[in-house]
Amino acid sequence: MEFQLETAKIIPKENLGEFLEGLKSFGRLVAPVKKKEKFYFSEIDDVSKVDTDYIRTILPPKKFILEYLRERFEYSPEKMEFLETFKPQSQVVFGLHSCDLHGIAILDAVYLKGENPDPRYLAARKETVLIGISCAPDEDCFCISTGTAFPDGTSWDLFFTDIGDSYFISIGSAKGDEIVHSLEQLFKEISKRDLVLYKKVTAEKKYMFKDGNIPDIERISQVIELEFDSEIWDEEAKRCFSCGTCTNTCPTCFCYTSVDVPSLDGSVVKRVEFITSCQYPYYSLVAGGHWFHENLKERFRNRYYHKYVGYPYQIERFGCVGCGRCQHECPAGIRIVDTLKKLRGAGDEEKSGKATDNIHSA
Amino acid sequence: MKKSLEKLLTISTVHDPFKPQKVRIADIEYLAPDHKRFSFVFVDEELNETWSFKPGQFVMLTVPKAGEIPISICSSPTRKGTVELTVRNVGRKTNVLHQMKCGDVLGLRGPYGNSFPVDLMEGHNVLIIAGGLGMAPLRSLVWYVLDKREKYKKVYLLYGTRNYESVLYKDELGRLKSRNDIKCIYILDKVGTEEDKNWTDREGLITSLIPEVDLDPADTYVAVCGPPVAYKFIGAELIKNGYQESKVFVSLERKMECGVGKCGHCQVGYKFTCVDGPIFPLWDTKNLPKMI
Repeated sequence: MEFQLETAKIIPKENLGEFLEGLKSFGRLVAPVKKKEKFYFSEIDDVSKVDTDYIRTILPPKKFILEYLRERFEYSPEKMEFLETFKPQSQVVFGLHSCDLHGIAILDAVYLKGENPDPRYLAARKETVLIGISCAPDEDCFCISTGTAFPDGTSWDLFFTDIGDSYFISIGSAKGDEIVHSLEQLFKEISKRDLVLYKKVTAEKKYMFKDGNIPDIERISQVIELEFDSEIWDEEAKRCFSCGTCTNTCPTCFCYTSVDVPSLDGSVVKRVEFITSCQYPYYSLVAGGHWFHENLKERFRNRYYHKYVGYPYQIERFGCVGCGRCQHECPAGIRIVDTLKKLRGAGDEEKSGKATDNIHSA
Repeated sequence: MKKSLEKLLTISTVHDPFKPQKVRIADIEYLAPDHKRFSFVFVDEELNETWSFKPGQFVMLTVPKAGEIPISICSSPTRKGTVELTVRNVGRKTNVLHQMKCGDVLGLRGPYGNSFPVDLMEGHNVLIIAGGLGMAPLRSLVWYVLDKREKYKKVYLLYGTRNYESVLYKDELGRLKSRNDIKCIYILDKVGTEEDKNWTDREGLITSLIPEVDLDPADTYVAVCGPPVAYKFIGAELIKNGYQESKVFVSLERKMECGVGKCGHCQVGYKFTCVDGPIFPLWDTKNLPKMI
């Protein structure tokens, strides 16, 4: 498995620049960079710009596998022969946090599972090397609740764990091993001290979360179903602008709209897909004028329902990785963690024991 | 999950479910105002033989320059050669389709979704309840069952329409009445217009026909398609008359962009209409919030 000690290596932090430079021979390099106060995953030319000291980027790395605006086909309306225009590009995405690796694992499940895997997604995924890096949470992170604080069970090629003056490298795939071999001179064998440090920092991560910042995810599907008609949805939705920031910044949201765009002379039509949001009013509008999600409250609730009830049915895990992007970026200041807490509080006073008291006194 | 990815990574190409096949309009039949039945043949001749589906499934039809629309198939797989779609002119894309002529080429991909449980139905009675345009996917089932008639016990067709003008497949439904291996009862909501007076069948709501159906409910599979609002009433009436929730199936419509569970638009409760439906057991109308 991917955490085998046999294959693990150490890279001193001063070698990181050279390592990143070396990655370029495996495809275009994508890594986090800082612009003003925010971080972005960007294509890297100058490796000194790479900044690993970040909490979260605005947009998740899914934009490099599942572009936000993309072409599916091109066809001539006379011939009706569909030509694929997409050419996958070899790329190495460096600096992914555990939550984003889980986000990609969820997209893998949505796009590749079942009878009809998406060939374009598969092609892009085949050409992508994923290199993860350990992180420390801030007040918006709640990956410890969603079980995504560690990269276990996801697909990645290398994973870097910060152990002070160097990174502890776990190798997750043959491709990862190839990369390490090709840059062998930058790595060291692990020492006993490295291993102790690695185990220590990994084990300590969970104590870095503050109780007040993380929601209780246990039986959350049930809570959301029980509170389906709760007034809390109205209260929370009242503040929502329907702007779609939450879904656009979500590493697991995958909904898209597809439109055929003819050229000006009509000789060529492009089938263009672009990311959409269940928060937009027209998301569920069908011809004839029927809105399946008729109001803001329903759209607002739909996001939670799909993340915590829908995904478990569809891919057997939650559609939320606790990255905190939606609540960090929400212009209305709506916090998913608070909504979940309120929902749990609405019908469930188990902690205080009030619920059972009431039964006994009734 | 990791396993399915690793497995796929070793395959050079996968079948592209997004790629439409070229089809040509072979026939267009005007059915009612804004309703036409289009017959398509694949330009790739071999597909006309091999392309198969089950009643209740749908296809994604590419209307040139306009885009893709999900339409359920109204022909039966027992009659190969053409794929027939009944389309109501209701939006931008269907409007373009309604301007098209015989010989025009389009794109078609599918079939998608599950189907009416035609295999489970074997050896049992079949009750088919159609309201309005809901007759389209059920026409596929009617012909399927009639073409394999020996496999099923008694077959009933109930068809409800709003007015005389919008009756679909008038001749066909008329001829069905004279067959003795299917019992047909047609009903019109309320005779209002002058034209409605041509109606020679029953008048009233479709639910009023259910108690008249002479079938053993425990031995009967029911297929329903109509406007979603009707499901609540039809479902309740069926239950009242002893039909079993697990043997009643309804067909659903939602917005769709992909047909293969990737675009997210067709969510109904925790399910996707395109891959988990469009045929749902009656239980789901209670189980999935906001389904009907």
